[in-house]
Formats: sequence, C-alpha cells, structure tokens
Amino acid sequence: MADSQKWRLQCTVNGGTVDTDVPQDEALLTTLRDRLGLTGTKGSCLEGECGSCTVIVDGEAVNSCLVLSPQMQDRKIETIEGLADGGKLHVLQEKFLAAGAAQCGYCTPGLIMAAKVLLENNANLTEEEFFEGMEGNICRCTGYKSICEAIRTAARQWA
Amino acid sequence: MKRRSDQISAGSVTDVTTQPVTRPLVDPSKTPYKEEPKGPVGRSERRIDGREKVTGTALYGADLFPNRADYFAQVVRSEIAHGNIISIHKEKSLQVPGMIAVYSAGDMPGTNRQGLIHRDHPVLVENRILFRGDAIAIVVAETESAAVSGCEAVEVNYEELPVVATMDDALAEGAPRLHPDGNIMGGKRIRKGDADAALGESDVIVSETFVTQTVDHAFLDLEAGIAHWDGEFLTIHASGQWAHEERRLTSLALGLPMEAVRIITPATGGAFGGREDISIQIYLGMVALHHPGKTIAMRYSREESMRARHKRHSLRIHYTLGAKQDGTLTAAKITVYSEEGAYASTGPAVLRKAASHSTGPYRIPNVYVDVYGVFTNNNPTGAMRGFGACQMAIAYEGMVDRLAERLGMDRIELRRKNLIRNGDAVTTGQRIPVVTATDCIDAALQQFEAKKLADKPLTPYQRRGWGLSVICFGLGYGDGFPDASRATVRFNAEGRLEVYTGGVEYGQGLLNMAGQIAAEELGMPFEQVDVVWADTGRTQESGSSSATRQTYFTGNAVKIAASELREEVLDIAGKLLNVHPHELDLTDGDIKGRFDPSIVLPIGNILKAGRERGYELEGTGIFKPRTVCEDFDTGQSPRAFITYLFASHIAQVVVDIETGEVRVERYVACHDVGKAINPQSVEGQMIGGATQGIGMALMEEVVMQDGRMMNPNFTDYILPTFRDVPEIETIILENDDPGGPFGARGVGEPPLIAATPAVLNAIGHAVGSMPHTTPCTPQRIWELLNPHEAGIPYDARLARAPLHARLTK
Repeated sequence: MADSQKWRLQCTVNGGTVDTDVPQDEALLTTLRDRLGLTGTKGSCLEGECGSCTVIVDGEAVNSCLVLSPQMQDRKIETIEGLADGGKLHVLQEKFLAAGAAQCGYCTPGLIMAAKVLLENNANLTEEEFFEGMEGNICRCTGYKSICEAIRTAARQWA
Repeated sequence: MKRRSDQISAGSVTDVTTQPVTRPLVDPSKTPYKEEPKGPVGRSERRIDGREKVTGTALYGADLFPNRADYFAQVVRSEIAHGNIISIHKEKSLQVPGMIAVYSAGDMPGTNRQGLIHRDHPVLVENRILFRGDAIAIVVAETESAAVSGCEAVEVNYEELPVVATMDDALAEGAPRLHPDGNIMGGKRIRKGDADAALGESDVIVSETFVTQTVDHAFLDLEAGIAHWDGEFLTIHASGQWAHEERRLTSLALGLPMEAVRIITPATGGAFGGREDISIQIYLGMVALHHPGKTIAMRYSREESMRARHKRHSLRIHYTLGAKQDGTLTAAKITVYSEEGAYASTGPAVLRKAASHSTGPYRIPNVYVDVYGVFTNNNPTGAMRGFGACQMAIAYEGMVDRLAERLGMDRIELRRKNLIRNGDAVTTGQRIPVVTATDCIDAALQQFEAKKLADKPLTPYQRRGWGLSVICFGLGYGDGFPDASRATVRFNAEGRLEVYTGGVEYGQGLLNMAGQIAAEELGMPFEQVDVVWADTGRTQESGSSSATRQTYFTGNAVKIAASELREEVLDIAGKLLNVHPHELDLTDGDIKGRFDPSIVLPIGNILKAGRERGYELEGTGIFKPRTVCEDFDTGQSPRAFITYLFASHIAQVVVDIETGEVRVERYVACHDVGKAINPQSVEGQMIGGATQGIGMALMEEVVMQDGRMMNPNFTDYILPTFRDVPEIETIILENDDPGGPFGARGVGEPPLIAATPAVLNAIGHAVGSMPHTTPCTPQRIWELLNPHEAGIPYDARLARAPLHARLTK
C-alpha cells in the first residue's frame, strides 16, 4: 500500500498515547483489535446495528465499526480494557458479573461501554431514557432482564 | 379483557375465556427441595468465566489473530444457487499483491466431505453447486485485505440450472433432481391406533395449516479461528459445539488420522445449534496443511456467516385434531413438510424430533403422522435450539386454542382435561412416570394473576389478549443413538480441583454446572475448582453441547467421576488416620470424622500422601444410558428419550389492528428443571430462550428469493432489542428426576419452544383470529385481519395445492 494512503494516527486510548500509521480507510474497530491488540472490543454485525463494538470517544458512545481511525485524531478513546482499576472491577463490571448479565459474553463489552456513557450523563434514568440509551445494543443469548438489573443496580451506586 | 370477536370480521376464532380460571394452585415457593443449599449445588455461584467476560479478556476466535496470524484465508462462494462449475480461473487472483495461493476441491487431501448425519456436503464443490453459499475455493494471502481482494478476483464460470426455490418447486413435475435419491429426504411416521376411524367418530374436528419461517441463529460471535500444522499435528482453534465430532469430520475430510488433529474451542459467543455443522475448521486445516509452520487465520463477515450457515427448518404443517363434545381428544392426523435446503445436515434428526413431539404433552389415543424432508436450493437447514419440537409446539398449542373456541370451552380447562398424567404415554408410546405439565400451568397462572398490574388503557385501535402454552420435551439425542458423556475430576499439584469435560461452553453455563457438581460431591469450596473444557488434546468426548443434554449427561459423568475420586481420598485418609473410610466425610476441603469431631485433616495432607505412594488422585466417569430406537413403521418406542421436561409460558400482548404491530406486555415462564444446579444460569437460559422465541413469533425471518438470501445482515434480519421484550418473570419448579445429577434435568431448549406458541395464542386471543404463519410481522397481522382486502385468502405460500397429493402419487 502506498504511503499516501497511510494516516499517522495520534490519539489517546485508555489514557495511553497512540502514535501509529493506519490505512486511511481503516475502521477504528480494526485498528483497536488487529493493530493495538485490544480485542476486548467485539465486532459482530459490522454495520452499526448491534452495538457489540461500542467504545467511548470523548465521552460519547460510538460504534467503532462505523468510524474511520483518521477521524480519531487527537481524540480520547476508552475501551473495555481501560475500565477496571488494576484488579478492581468497575462498578458496571461488578454488577454485570453479579447479575449474571454476561452469558456468552460477546455483547458484554459493548453493553458496558454504552451503559457507562448513559449513566455518566444521567444516573437517574426514566424507562424511556434507558431504552433510548441502550436499544442500540443487541444481546442474543442472555435476554435483557439481567442486563437491565445490572445497569440499574450500578446506577444506584453511581458516584 | 373482553371478548372481541364481534369487532373482527373474517376467519374469526376467539377464545371464549375472559379470565384465567382461579383454582387451588401450587405455591411455587413451597415446592419440594427448596431448602437453602448447603453446598455449591443449588447456589447461584458466579460464572467461572464471568470475570474475563466483563473485562474483555476472554479470547474468542477472532481474538486469537493479533501477533499470531501469519496468513489469512478467505472462501470463494458460489454466486448462483444451482448449477455446475465449468472452470475456475485463479490467475488474476494470484496477481493481487500479497496473495499466496488459491485452492480448490482438487487440492483437498481427504474425502472433501462433511455433514453430521449424511456426508453429502462437499467441503469445496467439485462440480455441482446446490446453494448460493457453497464453497468453491479458498484463497490464502499475507493480509486479510489481500485475501478479500484475492477472493473477489477468482473467476468462476458456471453452467446455471433452474433454481428450486421452494418446496413446491422441488416436488413439481419435472423438477430438477437435487440429490441422487430425489428431492425428498427420508421421512418419518407415527402410527398409533386408527386416526381415520377415530376422526370419523369425533364430534368436532378442527384443521389448520401452519407455516413456520426460516430462522437464523444470529449468534453475535462470528465464525473465526486459527490453525497450525507442524508436520505432525494439526491444531485448530475455532468455535464450535462439539469439539470431538469436529475433530472426526476434519480428519475425514483432510485424510488425516484422528490422533493428528487437535480441536481447541476458544470462548464462544453463542451457538444455538448454529455451530453444530462444521464451519471454518476444515478450511483452516486444509490451508494449514499446505503451509506447514504457518499460523492460518480466517473469519466470516456477518454476510458470509449468514449466507454460508445452515438455518432453522421452515415447516409446513397440516394438522387435523378430533375431539368429543366434552373436549376429550380422540385423534390427530398430521402431515409435515420440512424444508431441508441444499444438504441433509441434521435434517433426519429434525424430522424424527418433529414426529415424536407432534402432539406435545397431550393424551391422544389415535395418532397418524407423516413427516417429509424436501430438498431445495436454499441454505441447508439443520440444528437450531428446539429443532422440530418448537415448530410442532406452534401447531399443537395453536390447535388446542382453536378447538377450545370451537367447543366453547375454556382453553386452560381443555388443556388440563387432556394433558398426560403420571404414567401416561406421549406420541411415541413412551410412558412418562412423573408428569409436571399441570404444575407448570398452575404456577405460571398463579404468577400471572398474582402480579397482575392495572392494564394500561387502550386506544380504539388496540386489542389486548393473553395466551398460554404448555409443552413437553425429550432431552438428549434419544431414538437409540449412542449418547454418552465422559468426565475426569482430579486434584492438581496445588490442591485445586480440576474438572475435565469435552463439552463446549458457549454461554449456557456448562462450566459452572460441571464445577458446582464436582465441588458438591467432593465437599470442596467452589472457588477452588477449575474446569478444562472442549480441547480434544486434554479432554474426553462428552457429546455435543446441544439437545439440552449437557446437564443431564455431563453432569452425571462429573458426579460419577467425583464420587470415585471421593472414595479414593477417603480410602487414603482412612489409612492415614487408622479409621474406616466410612467414618470419614469430606466437607469444606477437609476430611472430618463423621462421629468423632476431633478428626480434622486438611485435604492437602491426603494429596501429599497419595503422591508419595504413587496414587493418581483422579476419578473418571462415563454416563451412557440407553434409549430405544423408534419403530420404523409406527414410530413407537418404550424409551425414545431418556427423560422429559415440562414447561408453561404465558404472554400478554397488545395488537394494533391498524398497523399490525404486536407488543408483548407481560411474560411469565415456568419450567420444571428437576433441580437448578445454578438458579441464575437456569433463569438466564429461560429468559434468553424466551427472548428468541418472541423473536421467532414476531420478527425473525430469513427471506429467500430464487435461492438468494435477501437479508443476510442485522439491518434487515430483525432481532429483539431491549424495547421488544418485557421483563420476563421466571418460575423454576424442581421435581427431582431420579436419573439426573442431584435430580437435575436441564433447561436449554424448552424456553424457546414454549415461547413462540404463547405469543401466537395471545395474538389470537387479542384479535379473535388465530395466526397460522410465523413470524407475525405487522403485514401478516394485517393480512390475518383483512384477508379479503389483502387479496390472499391465506399466506401466499399456502394458496398452492397441498403437497401431499403429489407425494402419494
């Protein structure tokens, strides 16, 4: 691939600086997983329908399969890998674990990231706000009850 | 709820029940064996793999690529649904920068055949293409993008043949022959009593034709994996449902001895039967054999995953049910056509399951069932959660509601009157010693009534209704098929308990089930248990993670292995302490005296003593119960399945009769699982299964047009989201199964099976016209309510002449 098609991507991922060449047409999902080895973010529908690849960009939930890496220039990205503080789980991770909200676990990282954005903006959600924030994430095996329970119990402890 | 049949014009079938009947009910909180568990069994222990799943460190197939993949492979798939390959041109593809090689059928070293029951499916097509998804060649490149470009650059010349797009096409005069034996695959029948005579003497007869849709598994974790051939051993990491069978099929197709192939299943994001047929394993293995020392990686896109994979069978069910005026069922005559798609896959098993579950938990003395599989040029149809049984539940539960309406009887009372009771036989003639169908109905109704909320007021265009389903389900492969699980339980050098099982964990909770049973049996804290699973190099064959069988089969194997190990430990302890082993017990990781509380010996001492004497502290177990093959002519068998499960669901819906939209307002699911080894996992299976069943009832449908899948993506294949599913209320009943580990039966498939008919019956109750075609999309609801306006008396697919006439010619 010719150099002109490369983009020198500088951004922050989970608090660390990233400075790497990426093809201009590469999706953020691919950069995170295949280039940076951050495989916690999952790809599934690859067209923005299922939310499995949700990451946080400057405080907003983003489908990483739908944005290109060059768009991430100088931005702050958070992925599931950056959530736990050393050995201590984030409250959402803890609640997902306790509620049994992760069965096959494939939708879990995306759900947790989406829920984090939702609760950070407003931990006191109405049902409609909750649905609006979460309906972009599909779970195929666990059903939604335990996921709702995990997010709601986390909301109660939200600092 | 009010009766609304007067408001609806045509085809009105309304349940006369306005309220569920109140009667003395079983209190679910007072069912037996509900005392606080002392050990891990019965406790909602946290998932063994939970922490890695919430932190994103669990490694699924595609997560193995970084830093490991040397080459990437990609499959060239047919662009036509039916035809012959004239030539394959690889030159242009090989000119793509980064491309290494293109392989076709001639490069396959072994049989080049796959298929779980019949080996009728070429891994790479040699000549004849049977569906638009058949694999033609595999390209290998240095990068994934080069592989994708190289794949597109392979030129295939086809000779196109007429596409057999539907079952009607397949059975039409002069239809192209898709398989050597013709377009009809096998068949399965049940002959019990004299159905024709009994129907003739019946006071009431109801008939209906049901059409169920093709469903995709839509698991989120796309097929992906890596493989490596070191010149002696082929190691494949790829998600599946039955590592040992995948090893067998891979070694056959590749012409390798089975010992040379090792399959390791990585973390797997859902399966639902969709990983039973082999996916990428053989492709990966073939490429690895051609490139020794290199690690080969490949994955499907969502489109490829949906285009290449088998689907749930679409069934056309002609159902006739007879009854006496008092509601006693007299006879059922059922003909089923099951769309097999291009290859057999698990089809023969699906036909058998459809037949043996055709009348559900009802006592019907005269039964006549014919089930036929019909090949087409659509995707092969194979295993999916509840196969055969879930489509038939739509039919028999739909029929009972129709019959109730016709008789003017309460639909719940009609069920109670006809449900099998302890010692009665199901369709196959198998007697079920303990039948808990009524208990499930009672508990579900009680929950439904007890927590009844004030109904939200409806607009003039909305109708509310509720529906109930009750089902039975035989677990395991059954039908005389050899079905066994093996397990090993051992203490490792650190004194931790290790459980080895060949079963696959894809989210259902197998690891906790096996771990909790071993810990319970050995009196060990659950935190000290590790489970090693689905690695053909380290674990023994435990059968597939399917057929709701792992809890019953592997659970028993683990229990047997653990109890053997327990005896061994107590024997050593007895020698050390100079007491009889029967005077000792194992609790909380220590040896304790049963009668002498002063005896306490940490288990670590035993392990050390054992090793010094050269004992291997290990127990193995095999659980291999027999079932009896169903008679070919009559479908009768004294023990077609090892044991049966019962469940009842209630759905309450609101239907907008202007737009045809259906919203599920409330949902209650009750299952008798024998014993919930981990109640949280059991609930998770109930809720996840019910959610899929709601999806099947209302929205999920693979649309095929002339052999082309019109919606191979999540934009057009609609899955239930947070908004589509209400909070599912779960009730677990625990009536011990005498043969199950700690009384457990299992739970996996029944939640889906019971869900779809409950929703359909609720729709029928709401609008006064019973649905007969799934999914009940807004358009179908509108057609159901406005058959004349829609210009089609029925679903278009039903307008054609019955298939049966052509078959019996």
